Amino acid sequence: MNNQPILDTIDPELAERYAKRHAEIENGSWASPGIIAALAIGSVPIALAALAKDAQGQGTLPTAIKGVLDFALALEIFENEFYKAVLGISGNAAQNAAFAPVRALAAGVPGAVNTLQQIQKHETAHIATLLSTGATNVFGLTENSFDFTGNRSPTGGGPFAKATTDLAFLLEVAQGAEDTGVRAYKGQAGNLMSSSGILEAALRIHSVEARHAARIRRMRRAAAGAPSSVRWSGTVRGGDAAAAGATDLGTNAAAVTLAFNKIYGAGANASTAPSEANTTQAGVNILTLAGANFGTDAAQEAFDEPLDRADVVAIVQPFFIPLIS
Amino acid sequence: MSESKEFIVSSGEQLLQPTTRRRFLSVMGMGGAIVFLPSVFAACNNDDTGTGPSGSTTYKLDLSNDTGILNYAYALEQLEAAYYTAALGSAGFAALSTAEQEVFTDLQKHEVIHREFFKTVLGGSAIPAISFNTTTVGTLTANRAVLLSTSQLLEDTGVSAYNGAGKYLTSAANLLVAGKIVSVEARHAAAIRDIRDGTNGRLFAGDDVVNAAGLDVKSEPSTVIAAVNSLNVVVGTVTIGTQPDASKKTADANAPTPT
Repeated sequence: MNNQPILDTIDPELAERYAKRHAEIENGSWASPGIIAALAIGSVPIALAALAKDAQGQGTLPTAIKGVLDFALALEIFENEFYKAVLGISGNAAQNAAFAPVRALAAGVPGAVNTLQQIQKHETAHIATLLSTGATNVFGLTENSFDFTGNRSPTGGGPFAKATTDLAFLLEVAQGAEDTGVRAYKGQAGNLMSSSGILEAALRIHSVEARHAARIRRMRRAAAGAPSSVRWSGTVRGGDAAAAGATDLGTNAAAVTLAFNKIYGAGANASTAPSEANTTQAGVNILTLAGANFGTDAAQEAFDEPLDRADVVAIVQPFFIPLIS
Repeated sequence: MSESKEFIVSSGEQLLQPTTRRRFLSVMGMGGAIVFLPSVFAACNNDDTGTGPSGSTTYKLDLSNDTGILNYAYALEQLEAAYYTAALGSAGFAALSTAEQEVFTDLQKHEVIHREFFKTVLGGSAIPAISFNTTTVGTLTANRAVLLSTSQLLEDTGVSAYNGAGKYLTSAANLLVAGKIVSVEARHAAAIRDIRDGTNGRLFAGDDVVNAAGLDVKSEPSTVIAAVNSLNVVVGTVTIGTQPDASKKTADANAPTPT
């Protein structure tokens, strides 16, 4: 991977100028010379930027796609700022200070800081990739836009405050954030079908979020506090708060339970956003599949479920100080 | 660089591959043994699903429509399900810790569910059940190291295959089904990688699979099918009859390789 450019310097215009110099090396007619050349030189970001340019036409992405990208960007900024605060590298000094106690605890667990750094690196990369694909920070989010305690207040005080001082609780929250990301991208894939390049990029971000969620589950299980419903395989068993496998609900158990119900339960429209406990897929009852009768747990684990945008907003809004939609 | 003097031929199709022919002749030159497994001859009798040049079974995929893409997924799930089912009784599995064994018992159930789900959804349009070579599968589960490395390869390949094939689906419902499964495969991949990682904490989504743009592995079907055939676990070959929409083709990224 020695040919990746600095991501945040790539915009469609720049990518096109760069790519045009290589246009003669390919003669396909299936995409613009910019895309072909970018792919030929192995640069995904440049290819994405060129795809964005293609999709933009006169400079405008289709409204539906632009809306998905903007929303995805907001979620990635949220995740990125969360991990930056945990790691003590946020631009917001108060956030760094708030998470100092849990940061010290993470430093005592082999591999934990490496994992948090690896995840944060990916979230930063996702932001750059989405921006280069045409996303806009429509909510004007900065490092000062978040309350990770879930109280929509610059001074915190919400039900998730314990994440700043307790590693097990922090990992419960991180798992919830990653699983929300998986469900959010899954729910938007259908809205990206008119641009195969952007759809593919979104699918590739989606599976990275799933890898993150799986590793966090394993960290929780390894810490010996999590129940066996938190699978070593990293998969999601059950729905609603039970799927979180949370053993510590902090000082406001009702609020935390409600949040996990939203993260793992059905969305407002249960037909488009079923609970993670769903065992019927494409009209097929998984519990009665011939030759694969393993019971409810495995049937739930074998498929992840989508959420609609409004469901995701309802989950994350308490952590965003500005109102999002 | 000591090449084994025993050369196992599991299918007639293998003899048509240039690399196999070279090795075949080389082993003969060393005075080694050539072992023809029963599957070579069994395959000769079974040409009802398509006949390759050697008479072995050919599983042909038409990737020009959603049914073909779902059959492509069905073929991959058949491979994974067969592999993990064999793995549960293997020496490699016996060498795992209790926590590690839980991963494999989970994965086996999930992959068998995926296989049977696709079989049911595809109904009469499904490709036949693929035959797998128990001998070659056996070598890939014979000890802890090869079990874990092969599992990682299969799971990363599954992720790359779904990530690369989603754009070819024309039905949003089918795309959603693929999306519901690919994230489970990604969780599997992360779990297997994490086992191999010890306490390092980065391999679950390592730089070898997630690139600098934060994007996971992605492979075109032709790449995946070639990789599947190269494992030599399918009795016969999986082939692509009709390629998917060329206008949507993209470059492969970090195609999984055995490690």
